[in-house]
Amino acid sequence: MDLLLQHVINAVSLGGTYALLSLGLAIVFSIIGLINFAHGELMTAAGYTIFFMLAAGVSLPLAIVFAIVAVAILAMGIERVAFRPMRKADMTGLLITSFAMSMILQAFFQNAIGARPRAVAMPEALSGVVNLGSVHLGIIPLMSISITVVALVALNLFLKHTVMGITMRAAAEDIDVVRLLGLKAGRVVATSFAVSGVLAATAAFLWVAQRGSVDPLMGFVPVLKAFVATIVGGLGSLTGAVAGGMLLGIVEVLAQVVLPPSMVEFRDAFVLGFVILLLLVRPQGLLPAPTGRRS
Amino acid sequence: MPMLRKNTRRAALALSLLASTAGFAAAEDFVLGLATGQTGGLAAYDQPSLAGLKLAIDEINARGGLGGKYPVKLEIKDTRSDTAAAVQAAQELVDQGVNAIITPCDADPSIAAGQITQGAEIPTFTFCGSTPTITSAVGDFMFGTYPADNAQALVLAEFAAKKGYKSAYVLKSADSAYTLKLPEYFATAFEAAGGKVLEQSTYTMGQQDFGAEVTKIKGLNPQPDVIMTAAYEPDFPAFIKQLRAAGVTAPVLGSDGIDTPTTLSLGSVADGLVHTTAGFAVPGSSLEAFNAKYKQATGKEPDTVYIANGYEIGLILDAAAKVAASPRGRDLRDAIANLENVEGVTGPITYKGTAGMPVRSISLVEVKGGARSLVEAVVPEAAKVPAP
Repeated sequence: MDLLLQHVINAVSLGGTYALLSLGLAIVFSIIGLINFAHGELMTAAGYTIFFMLAAGVSLPLAIVFAIVAVAILAMGIERVAFRPMRKADMTGLLITSFAMSMILQAFFQNAIGARPRAVAMPEALSGVVNLGSVHLGIIPLMSISITVVALVALNLFLKHTVMGITMRAAAEDIDVVRLLGLKAGRVVATSFAVSGVLAATAAFLWVAQRGSVDPLMGFVPVLKAFVATIVGGLGSLTGAVAGGMLLGIVEVLAQVVLPPSMVEFRDAFVLGFVILLLLVRPQGLLPAPTGRRS
Repeated sequence: MPMLRKNTRRAALALSLLASTAGFAAAEDFVLGLATGQTGGLAAYDQPSLAGLKLAIDEINARGGLGGKYPVKLEIKDTRSDTAAAVQAAQELVDQGVNAIITPCDADPSIAAGQITQGAEIPTFTFCGSTPTITSAVGDFMFGTYPADNAQALVLAEFAAKKGYKSAYVLKSADSAYTLKLPEYFATAFEAAGGKVLEQSTYTMGQQDFGAEVTKIKGLNPQPDVIMTAAYEPDFPAFIKQLRAAGVTAPVLGSDGIDTPTTLSLGSVADGLVHTTAGFAVPGSSLEAFNAKYKQATGKEPDTVYIANGYEIGLILDAAAKVAASPRGRDLRDAIANLENVEGVTGPITYKGTAGMPVRSISLVEVKGGARSLVEAVVPEAAKVPAP
């Protein structure tokens, strides 16, 4: 029973991080139909911001806030420089632009900051444990679950109760109609990038707290997981992205637990095999967007 | 004297032709070709290795070149950490007729590029590739410089046996030769030393979450005496944090991949961790002097021993060029293969009697309170090193 609870916490905490990541991808996709592969580099940028802030003696909470703001601005900057000129381009053009952006940022980090990982010293308290009977709950998993919940609730409130949020949901349905109504489409797109930056920075903090360092190629694995999660959840659907992230986390932990030791090294093959099966049954993903857009 | 002028012109023409086949080299230049990953995933290893090598080459050229005879020119190609690009770069370097070649800090591109350099009979070094099969898979023109994985594993296993550990849990990953084979060599050596390996489990590199593995270890009854892994950043910090958070107190043994500043920034979870490294700068050591020299030359703090290892490749070539009948091909290969006790900055390096992976000292260090201290420096006994 204790062991089961431990595994459930592991699964929900990993799934929560994936959900934050895939939500960042999905929010941009829902508006302009672009899977932004430079999303991982937004995480890396957030990691470096936290690193430099801590090195400069800034407290961790302040460093996180600063990283969130900085990366939101960076995401809007990327939109302005790389994606806005490509607005009329087709899906392939946008996709390649996002890959290019990702590589440019990686090369920038490698040459400007250095190829070696930089240690991010997290406060000792974060490595701590909460003891519930015989169950040890790590502070970091608990934190990642609570941060995920807070972020999801905040995003939900933003989308449902602010003018910009409602406009964004409308744009996700049909951006041309939003334009016809006299709303500024450019601002909607920029905001979606800013929100994705906020989500990337939040996820980056959780990611870095686990691994203790930041390096130029750090964003690759998370963006890949997020991509799989958004596909599983249904491209363009925000609830789908959260469901996809959670499901991916749960399936990964489950595979690690139930596979016999000799098979565990093929864990990812089993997980992706499950994804393929799921897509055979539900080609649009778990909870597809009503417009059913696919890239 | 028209005749003589004509001859001179011919000689000049022949010389320039010769020079053009060698790329750019003047007659006695030693061209060292590098097909290494200066960008991409291997840059974290190949960049510092190159920085160390460059420092050595600058010093050697100031002394008149390798062995005092052959000024070195570096021909640097970036493989972007791509194996196919490493093969292509090696082919280009072979076509340019370079004297020696250096391949990346990884087994796959080194073995692939080695297939070409072996055929062309050009002595080749892997920057810091430590998989012992690199040299056995390629042949007698391939050399390693970094302490081999199986030698490191032996040092760890003998340390574990000496500490009285009877049972071990081994965590490995099939995603790289290093993370897979080093723990397996450890398991072999540990059982040869009388220990028992309870379980070998695997993780995926970059998976971030070790909750499932850790919960499994926690559920073991009895608990293992020691946990051994060759995981490195970002996996190792994530693993040990979650391991300690779950309340597992068994000591952990690691390998040289975690000889990084990150390990020291982990705080109390890393206390008691023992790992191997290619060199540890104790006060008064030549490594400490080298680190000071590097800082003075570049203005940067040397944050990894790969820098010193890259520097030592320069020293190895220098020592070989002194005794080689000619600075290329079989002559150079034979000279390297017979080197004994070359005074490196991390200790003496010997190739004589090996299959290309050098015999050299390996340091065991213990982490405590955010600092490392030397446990011991050992030269592993060749007969006991697990077969590659």
